Amino acid sequence: MSASDPPRYCAFCGLPLTASFSVGGDRLAAGDEYCCSGCRTVASVENAGREQGESANSLLRLGIAIFFTMNVMVFTMALWSGDVYAEEAFANPLAGALRGVFRWASLMFSLPVLLLLGKPIAEGVWESLRRKAITTDLLVLLGIAAAYGYSIVSVLRDEGHIYFEVGAMVLVFISIGRWLEAKGKHQTGESLDALARLLPTTVRRLGAGGAFLEIPREEVRTGDIVRVLPGERVAIDGVISSGSAAVDQQIVTGESRYVEKKVGDRLFSGSLNVDGDLRIEVTAADGEETISRILKLVREARRAKGRHERLADRIATWFVPTVCVIAIAAGWRQGISNSFDQGILTALAVVLISCPCALGLATPMAVWTALGRAANAGVLFRSGMVMERLATVRYACFDKTGTLTTGSPEAGELLVATGEDPQRVCRVAAALAAGSNHALSQAIVRFSQQRGETQPVVEDAEVRSIPGRGLVGEIAGVGQAVLGNRRLMEENRLRWREELGSAAIEGDASPQEVFIGWENVVRGVFYFAEQLRAEATTALEACRDLGLELRMLTGDEQQRAELIGERINIPATSGQLPEDKSTTLESLARQGGVAMIGDGLNDAPALATADVGVALGCGADLSRDTAGVCLLGDDLRSFPWAVGLARQTFRIVKQNLFWAFAYNCCGIALAASGRLNPIWAALAMAASSIMVVTNSLRLGRYPELLSGAVVSITDTSQTAVANVLPTAGGEHETSEQELIVTAS
Amino acid sequence: MIELPLIFVGGLLGSAHCLGMCGPLAISLSAGAPAGTNQLRRQIVFSLGRVFTYGFCGAVAGLGGAWLSSESRGFVLSQAWLAVLAGAVLVLMGLVTAGVLPRPAIRFLSGLPCGAAGWLKTFLAAPGWLGALVAGVFTGFIPCGLVYAFLLKAGSSGGIWMGWLTMASFGLGTIPLMVLIGYGGQFLATAHRARVFHIAAWCIVLTGAISIARGVAQLNPPADAVTADCPFCAERTERSAQ
Repeated sequence: MSASDPPRYCAFCGLPLTASFSVGGDRLAAGDEYCCSGCRTVASVENAGREQGESANSLLRLGIAIFFTMNVMVFTMALWSGDVYAEEAFANPLAGALRGVFRWASLMFSLPVLLLLGKPIAEGVWESLRRKAITTDLLVLLGIAAAYGYSIVSVLRDEGHIYFEVGAMVLVFISIGRWLEAKGKHQTGESLDALARLLPTTVRRLGAGGAFLEIPREEVRTGDIVRVLPGERVAIDGVISSGSAAVDQQIVTGESRYVEKKVGDRLFSGSLNVDGDLRIEVTAADGEETISRILKLVREARRAKGRHERLADRIATWFVPTVCVIAIAAGWRQGISNSFDQGILTALAVVLISCPCALGLATPMAVWTALGRAANAGVLFRSGMVMERLATVRYACFDKTGTLTTGSPEAGELLVATGEDPQRVCRVAAALAAGSNHALSQAIVRFSQQRGETQPVVEDAEVRSIPGRGLVGEIAGVGQAVLGNRRLMEENRLRWREELGSAAIEGDASPQEVFIGWENVVRGVFYFAEQLRAEATTALEACRDLGLELRMLTGDEQQRAELIGERINIPATSGQLPEDKSTTLESLARQGGVAMIGDGLNDAPALATADVGVALGCGADLSRDTAGVCLLGDDLRSFPWAVGLARQTFRIVKQNLFWAFAYNCCGIALAASGRLNPIWAALAMAASSIMVVTNSLRLGRYPELLSGAVVSITDTSQTAVANVLPTAGGEHETSEQELIVTAS
Repeated sequence: MIELPLIFVGGLLGSAHCLGMCGPLAISLSAGAPAGTNQLRRQIVFSLGRVFTYGFCGAVAGLGGAWLSSESRGFVLSQAWLAVLAGAVLVLMGLVTAGVLPRPAIRFLSGLPCGAAGWLKTFLAAPGWLGALVAGVFTGFIPCGLVYAFLLKAGSSGGIWMGWLTMASFGLGTIPLMVLIGYGGQFLATAHRARVFHIAAWCIVLTGAISIARGVAQLNPPADAVTADCPFCAERTERSAQ
C-alpha cells in the first residue's frame, strides 16, 4: 500500500503525490512524476524555457479546444431548440435534414477537443498505470471515451442521443480546473523560493593571478576568498579577511539594525553588505551555508505527516477504489432501469464529482504554505507536526535569563563613597573596563557613556585582567586602580568605607556588584540588574490574548525571580535546575499542551521535554535541534505570532477537510442517484480543488508581526544602500535614548 | 429583422465605447506580434474571434429566451417582456453615453483590461493567426455593459438563430473601428470622435426604443389569440397599451 512507502513528490508543485491505491508492490522509478495533469501541463509550458512558441503551444491548445467546444455547444443548442419547438421541428421538412447536419457537425468539432485535451490526461493515466496505481483519471478517461463512443455510434446509425457536448465540456472544465490548481499549488513554495532567490547566482572569487573572477556560486569551495561589494548579498558563509562594513543580516537574525562587521567576524549567507568592500574567506560553500540550511530544514519539515494528514491519507488510499465501485454500481443501476447511455453518464458523473485531489491536498497545502510563510518571517518549524502541536498548546513556560531578560547585565546604579566625585569614579572605572571584553566591563563602559561622559575614555591604560576577580591597571592621575569583586578588594587590602560595605550586604536579593577603588580606598560600587527585553511586555500580552497560561521557570533564587515575575505579571517558579524544569513541564503537560521558550543553550533538556520547544535567537545556529521551533530572530514577539499562525493554519486545515468530506459525500450521493449532468460534476470538481488551494494560499498572506520586527523578504538592497547613513544613524540614536531611559 | 441593420449600426458606432476596454488589447496584439507578420490579417482574425464569442453568447441567450417563453407560454409573454427590458436597458445605456443621464457613480471592472491583458498575453504574443483567434474568442467574454444590453435583446429574439444573428450583427459592426485602432492607432481627431460618440449613443437609444415598441406590440394580443391570457397579464397589457 502506498501509504507506507517513502513519500514522493510532484516534480512541479513539490507537493506529495496523492496517496493512491496501487496494485502490486513494484513501482518503476520513472523520471518526473506529477500529481495531476494540470501540473504536467504547466510544467511542460514552464520547462520549455523562454521559447515563446513552445511555451504558448500548450495554452494555445486549451484555447483552441475551448473554441471548438463553443462550436459544439452551438450545434447542440440547435438540436435542443428542436426539442423546445417540437411541433415546428416536425412541421418543417428541412428540420430533419438540418438535424442530421448538426449531429455530424457536433462530431466533427468535438473530435479535436478529445485530441487536444485528452492527450495530457491519457499520458498521466499511462504513467500511473506503469506505476501500477489506479487513479480516478483512469475512470474519467474511460467515461469520456464511453460518452464519445456512444455518441459516434448514434451519429453513424442516425438514431439515439449524442453526448459530444458532455465529453467536450468535461474535458475543457477539467483542463481549466487542473491548470488553475497547478498554478495555485506552485505558489506553496513561493515564500521559500523568495528566500532562495536572495542569494546571488555568481560570486567574485580570488583567482590564482590575484584577480577576482566572476564564477557560478556552485563552484565556490571552502577556503576560497571571495569579494563582496557594497549593496550585494553574501552568497556563502565566511569570515571577513579584509575590509569592514555595516551589514544587514535581517534575513538570518531578524534584527533590523545594521551590524558593524570587521576582520575576523563571521558573515552568514543572505546578509546584505551595506557599505564596505569585503574580502571573505569561505567557511561554508553553496548548499552548506545558512540560507541553504534553512531551506533544507523547512523542506525536511514537510516530510513528517501530522495526524490530520495521516487520516486524510488513509481515507484517500481507499477513496479511489470505493468511488470506482460506487460509479460502476450506480451506472449499472441506471443502465438497467433507464437506458445504457444514462448508465454511462451516471457513472461518469460519479467519477467526476469525486475529488481525491481536494482530500489529499487539504492538509499539506495549508501546512506547507504556512511553513514557508513562517520561514519567511524567521520562524522555523522542524515539522508540520510541531506546528500542529503548537496550535493546541495551553501553557507557555518561559526561561528567564536570556529569554524574558536580555541576558546581558546592565549597570543600573553607581553608589560612591561620601566626598567622591561620581563623574571621576565613573571615568576611572570606564578607563579600566575599556581594556576588557567581559560582559560586566562592557556594561560599565556603556553606563559611563550613558551618563553623558563626553570626554573620551582614556584607553592608554595598561590593564591586567585577573581571572575570576577583576581588573587592575595604571590610570594617569590616579595611580593603580582596581575594579572587581569583593574578593579582589580584600586581596589588594583596600579600605572599606562604611556606607559601601554595608550597602552591599543588606538584603538577600543581592544584585551583582563591582567595586572600584584606588589609593587603598574603595571609592564606589556598581550595581547590576537584569534588563527585561524591551518587547517582553507586548509579547506576553499577546500570549495572554491568545488564551495561553504563562509561567516563568528559572534557576535563579526566589526573591529575584519574583521581582521580575511581578514586573511582567507572570507566576515564577524559581530555583529550578535543568532536571527540575523537565519535571515541572511534565506535571503541567498532564493538564494540557506545553510550550517551553528558552534560548536553547542551558535549557535544552526542558525544550526537549516540552510538547513544543521554542528556541529564541537561534540565528544561524540551526543545530539546536532539541527545539521544535527555531525563532531565528531575537524577538520574543515571534512566539505569539507563531502560535497565531499555527492556529490559523489548523483552522484552515479543518475547513479544508470538512469541505472535502462534505463535498464528496453530498456530490457522490447526488451523482449516484443519476440526477447530475457530468458537465456540472466536472465544474464542481474543478471548483472544489481550486477552493481548497485558494483557501490554503491565504496563509501565505498571513500578516507580518509588527513593523520592522519580522523580516519580509523583498530585496531592498538598492534602497538600503541609498539611505544607509540616515537610517543607521537614526536607529542608533533612538536605541541609545531607550537605554538611557531604562538605565536611569 | 428590421432591427438587424440598426443593431449593426449600433455596433459600428457603439464600438467607440469598446475602444476603452478592448482597444488596448487590439493595440497590444499589434505591438506584441513578431516583426514581419501581416498585421491587418491578425487584427481581422482577432475581431472574428470576438464576433464568434458574441454569436455564441447570442445563441445561448436566444435559446434561454426561447426556453423561457416555451416554459411560461400562456401565462406571461416572456419574450415580449424581455424585449421591453432589453429596450429599456439599451435606452438607458444610450442616454448615459449621450450625456443626458449622469454616469453611474460606481464604475466597477474598470481595472479589468489590464488584468485581461496579462491573461491573454500568451495568445496575443503568439505568432500566426491561431493565437489571435483564441485571444479574440476570450476577449469576447470580457464583461461589457453594451454587450450585455444587446444580449438581452438577443434573448428576446425568440430563437437561437435570431439570437446568434443579433449578436453577430452587433459584433460585425464593431469590427471596422477595432481593426482600425489596432492597425493604425490614431484615426480621428478628438472633436470628430466626440461627434461619433454622440451619434452612436442615439443609435443605441433608437434600437432600444424599437425593441420596446415591438415588445409592447407583442403584449397586445391579436384578436384571434389561441390561448387566453391570464386576467392579471391581460389587465397589465391593457394598461401598458394605453
